[in-house]
Amino acid sequence: MKGVAEKGGTSRRQFFNRILTGIGGLIGVGAGAPLAGFGILPALKEEALDWARLGPAEMFVTSEPKLVPFTHVVPKPWPEEPVKHAVYVLKKGEADFVIYDIRCTHVGCPINWNAQAKRFFSPCHGGVFDIEGRVQAGPPPRALDRYEVKIENGILYAGRLYRVDENLRRVA
Amino acid sequence: MPKGVGWLHTLGSATLFLLALQVVTGVALSLYYVPTPDHAYESLKYITQTVPFGAFLRGLHRWGASLIVVVAVLHMVRVFFMGAYKYPRELTWAIGILLLGVILGLGFTGYLLPWDNRAYWATVVGTSIVESWPVIGGFAARILRVGTDVGIRTLIRFYNLHTFVLPAFLGWLTLAHLYLVLQQGIAAPPAAEGRRVSRSTVRAPDFREAYRQEVEEKQRTGIPFYEALWKDGVVALVLFTLLVVMALLLEIPTEKVADPSDVNYLPRPEWYFLFLYELLWYFKGPWMVVGTFVIPAALFLALLLVPWLDRRPERHPLGRPLASSVAAAGIFAAVYLTYLGATAPLPPSPTTAALPPGGPKVAVAATPEAGKRLYEAQGCSACHAIRGQGGAAGPDLSRVGRTRDAAWLARFTRDPEAVKPGSPMPPYKDLSEAELQAIAAYLAVLR
Repeated sequence: MKGVAEKGGTSRRQFFNRILTGIGGLIGVGAGAPLAGFGILPALKEEALDWARLGPAEMFVTSEPKLVPFTHVVPKPWPEEPVKHAVYVLKKGEADFVIYDIRCTHVGCPINWNAQAKRFFSPCHGGVFDIEGRVQAGPPPRALDRYEVKIENGILYAGRLYRVDENLRRVA
Repeated sequence: MPKGVGWLHTLGSATLFLLALQVVTGVALSLYYVPTPDHAYESLKYITQTVPFGAFLRGLHRWGASLIVVVAVLHMVRVFFMGAYKYPRELTWAIGILLLGVILGLGFTGYLLPWDNRAYWATVVGTSIVESWPVIGGFAARILRVGTDVGIRTLIRFYNLHTFVLPAFLGWLTLAHLYLVLQQGIAAPPAAEGRRVSRSTVRAPDFREAYRQEVEEKQRTGIPFYEALWKDGVVALVLFTLLVVMALLLEIPTEKVADPSDVNYLPRPEWYFLFLYELLWYFKGPWMVVGTFVIPAALFLALLLVPWLDRRPERHPLGRPLASSVAAAGIFAAVYLTYLGATAPLPPSPTTAALPPGGPKVAVAATPEAGKRLYEAQGCSACHAIRGQGGAAGPDLSRVGRTRDAAWLARFTRDPEAVKPGSPMPPYKDLSEAELQAIAAYLAVLR
């Protein structure tokens, strides 16, 4: 009779069920793991401007943050496509530059430097940052994010994006 | 079908009709739409300006997306207040909430596809909100954007989600939802039987068994389903006509192509996300996550679990005052926040600096006229509104002169914390005394 427990307590039915579950599991993992890796892993690789060229360092002469729009071709194994970008560059000394991300640290709205108020304003929820990128008002949770800075042959480059703590030290 | 099934019961089939229409118009649009940053914007231009019926079909899809949210939410509200989520339809309700989530996901992913400034910046904001989520936020945001920036692979990913992944979920969940509806029949509206299911049913030792018997009785004395179905047809026709009129008459706001370097852009979410967006004003610094995660997640979870949070047999809204008032308060809060967001004065588009940086300080007379110029130049209107012009971060200053004199205003502007501890306004200590006096003089005459 089908379905009746044989010795060891496993019926033929249970046995076949287990085999099917095993096969299903194998196929599931065999197809699912590559699918998940395919969709997710490229997104986790370190991304950044990857030393985008901003221009000659000597073109920055003021102590005001200057908006630098530029077009950047990300050098990676991917169909090359120029991407529009912008950063704020603050020249503090001869070879002392700070490069700010233009996205507010609250929810990413584009911040705007007001030269007379000497502050960055976000248009969305009233975030205000001072010239060093510190939060002065509104809901932003941290100071402005920055890019790594490199000067090579007199040319200013922006590298990876990173966050700073309340003392403006790099955290991640 | 039980007696009393009326026009309000057509909202579910109306949602189904609109979803089917979205699928048809969406498939049509995909004939010409190209999901890459260098072609998306132009291909939509081609669709709307050159392809026959292109503008019409895009209009149907664009306005249909908004209409679905309206109709689906009304359907949910109807089911809630009639207690139709109760035994034995708990699962039908939960699947419905998941469907609402999928619909909102389709709205969010579809929003990026036009690849204009509105699309780009709304997605920057949306994915930044995801990024602020605890533990998985950074990971999830990276996967959504494929990296740290919204770019070419974000667009393709959103297109994939919008046209393959989410519609697949939509299809399966809709089938499950419909299967349960057909199998269990339509819940009898509580109004048809007085305030309660019926006193004997509520009090019965096994109310589920009693409810089953009551339903059987109603099925026998009810109306055949085709007596009710014509109403669904009429509603579908009315909605279709409405959409046709909208598609023909309303212009889809066009913006310039996505510009990630545009610091003068003011991102705005689609209207049905506005209440969540508005909520973000209220949580500062580390509390931000309350607005971006805790409240939305709690809201979704509460909705999903409604049938298990409220398990009493009572179905009439007046017979369960707690559930009814919590729901009414929630609806009121969402509508009110949406109203606040929709009517909030916008900050002025920033003027690119007029004075030469580092130039000589001009002597300022403490006159209201000079103060007005300084007020505008210093970006005060980014946060403060005067007669409807300016932002909403700080108090409206239209009548500030009535309650504050010039001396107080000058002191406050210089160092708000010193005058009013805890004030969120940034200090303006870098202004000269004459400049402060001028601004104060201007504000003092606002009455």
